Amino acid sequence: MPKKKEVLLKIRNLKIQGYSDEQWVDIIKGVDLTLHRGEVMGLIGESGAGKSTIGAGAMGYARDGTRISEGSIEFDGMELTTATEAERRALRGSRIAYVAQSAAASFNPAHKIIDQHTEGPLQYRLQKRMEAQEDAMDLYERLRLPNPKEIGFRYPHQVSGGQLQRAMTAMAMSCRPDLIIFDEPTTALDVTTQIEVLAAIRDIVEQFNTAAIYITHDLAVVAQMADTIKVLLKGSEVEEASTEEMLSNPKEEYTKSLWAVRSFESPQKHRPKDGVPLISVKNVDASYSAGPKILNDVSFDIYAGMTVAVVGESGSGKSTTARCITGLLPPSKGEILFKGTPFPPDYRNRSKDQLRQCQMIYQMADTALNPKVRISEIIGRPAAFYSGLRGAALKNRVDELLDLIELEPSQYYNRYPPELSGGQKQRIGIARALAAEPTFIVCDEVTSALDQLVAEGILRLLDRLQDELDLAYMFITHDLATVRSIADEVVVMQHGRVVEQGPKDEMFTPPHDPYTDLLLSSVPEMDPNWLTTLLEERGVDNIGDAATAKL
Amino acid sequence: MSYFVIGYYALLLAVSCLAAFYNRRSVFLLAFSLTLVSFVLGIVGGVGALKAVAICAGLLGLTAMVSYAFREFLIALAPIETAKELRTAPLTAAFGMFVIFTYAIAGIFAPWIAPFGEAEVISSAFAPADENMLLGADQLGRDMFSRLVFGARNSVGLALTATIAAFVLGAGAGLLAATKGGWFDQFMGRFADVIMSIPSLIFALLMLSIFGPTTPVIIIAVAIIYAPRVFRLTRAVAGNVVVMDYIEAAKLRGEGTGYLIRREILPNSMAPLIAEFGLEFCFVFLLVAGLSFLGLGIQPPTADWGSMVRENATLISFGDITPLIPAAAIALLTVGVNFVVDWMLHRSSGLKE
Amino acid sequence: MGDILGLVGKRLGLGLVILFIISIIIFFMVELLPGDIAQAVLGQGATEENLAAMRKEMGLDQPAIVRYLGWLAGAVQFDFGSSIVTGKAVSAIIGERFVNTLFLAAYAAVIAVPIAIILGVIVALLRNSIFDRVANVATLTSISSPEFFLAYILILYFSIKWGMFPSNAKISDGMTLADLLYRTFLPALTLVLVVVAHMMRMTRASIISLLASPYIEMARLKGAPPWKVIVKHALPNAWAPIINVVALNLAYLITGVVLVEVVFVYPGIGQALVDAVSKRDFPVVQACCLIFAATFILLNLAADVGAILTNPRLRHPK
Repeated sequence: MPKKKEVLLKIRNLKIQGYSDEQWVDIIKGVDLTLHRGEVMGLIGESGAGKSTIGAGAMGYARDGTRISEGSIEFDGMELTTATEAERRALRGSRIAYVAQSAAASFNPAHKIIDQHTEGPLQYRLQKRMEAQEDAMDLYERLRLPNPKEIGFRYPHQVSGGQLQRAMTAMAMSCRPDLIIFDEPTTALDVTTQIEVLAAIRDIVEQFNTAAIYITHDLAVVAQMADTIKVLLKGSEVEEASTEEMLSNPKEEYTKSLWAVRSFESPQKHRPKDGVPLISVKNVDASYSAGPKILNDVSFDIYAGMTVAVVGESGSGKSTTARCITGLLPPSKGEILFKGTPFPPDYRNRSKDQLRQCQMIYQMADTALNPKVRISEIIGRPAAFYSGLRGAALKNRVDELLDLIELEPSQYYNRYPPELSGGQKQRIGIARALAAEPTFIVCDEVTSALDQLVAEGILRLLDRLQDELDLAYMFITHDLATVRSIADEVVVMQHGRVVEQGPKDEMFTPPHDPYTDLLLSSVPEMDPNWLTTLLEERGVDNIGDAATAKL
Repeated sequence: MSYFVIGYYALLLAVSCLAAFYNRRSVFLLAFSLTLVSFVLGIVGGVGALKAVAICAGLLGLTAMVSYAFREFLIALAPIETAKELRTAPLTAAFGMFVIFTYAIAGIFAPWIAPFGEAEVISSAFAPADENMLLGADQLGRDMFSRLVFGARNSVGLALTATIAAFVLGAGAGLLAATKGGWFDQFMGRFADVIMSIPSLIFALLMLSIFGPTTPVIIIAVAIIYAPRVFRLTRAVAGNVVVMDYIEAAKLRGEGTGYLIRREILPNSMAPLIAEFGLEFCFVFLLVAGLSFLGLGIQPPTADWGSMVRENATLISFGDITPLIPAAAIALLTVGVNFVVDWMLHRSSGLKE
Repeated sequence: MGDILGLVGKRLGLGLVILFIISIIIFFMVELLPGDIAQAVLGQGATEENLAAMRKEMGLDQPAIVRYLGWLAGAVQFDFGSSIVTGKAVSAIIGERFVNTLFLAAYAAVIAVPIAIILGVIVALLRNSIFDRVANVATLTSISSPEFFLAYILILYFSIKWGMFPSNAKISDGMTLADLLYRTFLPALTLVLVVVAHMMRMTRASIISLLASPYIEMARLKGAPPWKVIVKHALPNAWAPIINVVALNLAYLITGVVLVEVVFVYPGIGQALVDAVSKRDFPVVQACCLIFAATFILLNLAADVGAILTNPRLRHPK
């Protein structure tokens, strides 16, 4: 339902340069954008597409180390590129407001939330202090913050992330601006919290008929929020269309490929009738040095050649479970069995053969590969270390591994990790794990730092390797789409406990444990009416933190 | 108004106008603010002050030219990778490298460069400069220039040895503490805290008073004083590396501490450690110079810059700048090293962003 | 508030423990002396009777631990025994000098701290401009120069060439404050030059790291004018780093003062220390070291406590 009315923001041929390696390079390469009053436009693209830079540019603002080099930005008839700094500043906060990604970092720790809220109205002399505070409380209530009368008088660090994000949206609303820039406002939040913030943002934008630019990398999120969607790639526009049209009928190849990502699904395998599990986590409790218990009586089994996805929000203990299995964090109670025999709890006490059985692939390929070591050694070292390969045999093995992960050996043999792209690095990480010839691999959020297309490639690769090498995976993730495509079994965790576990097909059909239900229903879907439908089904008070608290 | 003054202002104004015309904002700001400052200086200090400014500017220009030429020289000689990095060096860093290079040459080839021996008495006390003696004689009639050249070997050599000793101790302990963690890490951290709570010069004086001012004592004392500082930095740098997933991967593989430090941690801590080495060298050098100035450093007749300043200090009251030369030699090297370190730190911090 | 008191108390306790350990180091280091103090003082040619008499007089016949406890008990009451060389009470030698040193350091600090912080904030605001670069080169040069180099340059120009200030900072009891300030101007200026450079660089760095934080960008994007961004959003969070910078540099002043006192023949504790070191007058050396270390620790402590007190997260706990 695009509201074709008066044009509010008109950007033409915008070029923004960034300073790197002692020279200015274009990071935005001539983008056009037209936004009408009351319209919400989603800016979507992979990391490095320049979404956030355009967002700041729409306020006539260039971040440190960037400059607007060409083009025009016309806001409500006023040209921002030629306006004086004072004129531009007079718009910010009053007519164009900004909501940042990390609310926790973007609120000044030294002042109360409500004082930061009223700063704008007071500065622009729109309201007296008392009025502004009353108004703030009203906005807090509309955004469904708990204790709206009182919450503003707290300091930012005394309030949770999801609440802060809503308080920041309220702050952006304080002067009733014509346009709000939302810069990935829910990226740092958990899915159950995200949905609550999304609902609140959508409501308030609608109530005040505010135009918005909604920046995100998540297609499903933008589908809920935006009237029109603009897809960006490396600082240039790919295409723009209304949300329904973009979802049902994308024109460009790149957009289609983004949409197609979720099609991959590996056939589900089932447990052998009578076999010993490869890895068995038995009643494990764990805590970091005398701290509170992170894991509480966690038990599940992983069978050879199967993928078990461990799902949960941040702080649910999924990564800690992996650390217990690998031996980095010896459990305070319970044990880890490998083919029925206990593993020594501390990795230092495990034999070379025990260590090789269980390998890890990490989320951030950047920190998982030593930037100062050649690819040949990164992959070659485990092979030499465990199998004692030397010379030509070692070189052959490394070539074989590079072939296995679909990278041309001669091209990559002598390169260093920083020269590779994110997906290539992740492949090297996989090759390093394979070099040990393991039977079991822990995949810790291996696709969440990657752009969707690349992630898809990695998932296919992992699936192929599993079939060829009979590997078992423990797949830690918070992304249910990934679970759907690769898992055989699912374990749902919350607050250090296993809430529910079972084969994938059972897990995705009701009835569920209430938490699983909440988790599953909170994951945004590509359907633009998903959020509306969900809110109708569950009611606004039965989502997010409120719902979690009820459980 | 002399022609000099007219020329002086004409030149400055011409440069300002040209810079403004060609939109070189920083050059314009510099030239024009210099013009304004010169008005004040000219009124207060007369032609003399303006001449001093002109001489300073000329010297700065010469230094800049030397630095520029030296940087081009290095770029021409260095292999491609290094040359690319050198191109990013500001003139100050090039100047620093030039200074370090000159001092290294002077120190290494001291006996061949210096016309006389360091303890050789060749004329009367405080004899002025002549064709034999570039800078005149010191309080015992030894050639100042020769002693200055030998000083490069003695003073810098001592500071360098002490810095290396401090570095081996501190960096070794720091790497080990970061890798091992646990009680060893805790203990070393506390120990470093205690040592660092004693001001360095005071601690050095305490040790020298007890064990006597001999070269080995100075080296050991300095190493003990500065090792905790190096330890702290190395611990912090290595601490950032140790939390990386590739270290965890290596640990889980079953690699030993030696491999972890050598192959995984050290290569990733090298850049900040080298910069830190430069910084620590400056501190050590200044401390050792201070000690010799107090008469507690390298003992005579060995030539040493700090003690040369003290021995000739009386000349100052006659308006003679001779005692300032060795002091300037100290300052110049420290400035040079600091310039290079500043560039390196700037680079590594720039890369992070 | 309980949290804060706890933290401050903990930090104070740690300071005391460190001071205690340092007193042990200072005392027992002298014990490492080849032979003993008596031998070191009297030299190789001393007769057995002389040595024995000296040992008796200094209480060397008692075990080290007993002597240490006695020394520590004295030190707490500012009684450090008597000098080996002159026989006078150590506290009498250094008492007045300590006051003089504090006077000089305070003189330098009063000039340096405001200048440095204001200049530091200015260069931080003008960062990457030509002034910032010039200031960078100038401050680097200043901190790279040995104190005695700066001191002699100042003497050469201000006192010998232009005759504006005395090069000898000898002071006596009857002087008026104006007279004192005039006579000690050059040593104070030397210290100011070094400390201002240090402080400016550190202030600049801490302000710049603060200006990069998201809440500053948020304030800008809310349309706050630049002065308000600095005063209302940056400054309340900058107190901790600034307090830290000031304390560190005051601590640096305490050490730097030694060399400056020697150059200007200023009757401070630093010169007493240097004299005592060359004469191997151990009680004086130990006393001076302990006083310097205590001041140093006190200043670091002040910095930490300041940082704790100005941290909003600690002041308003959850």
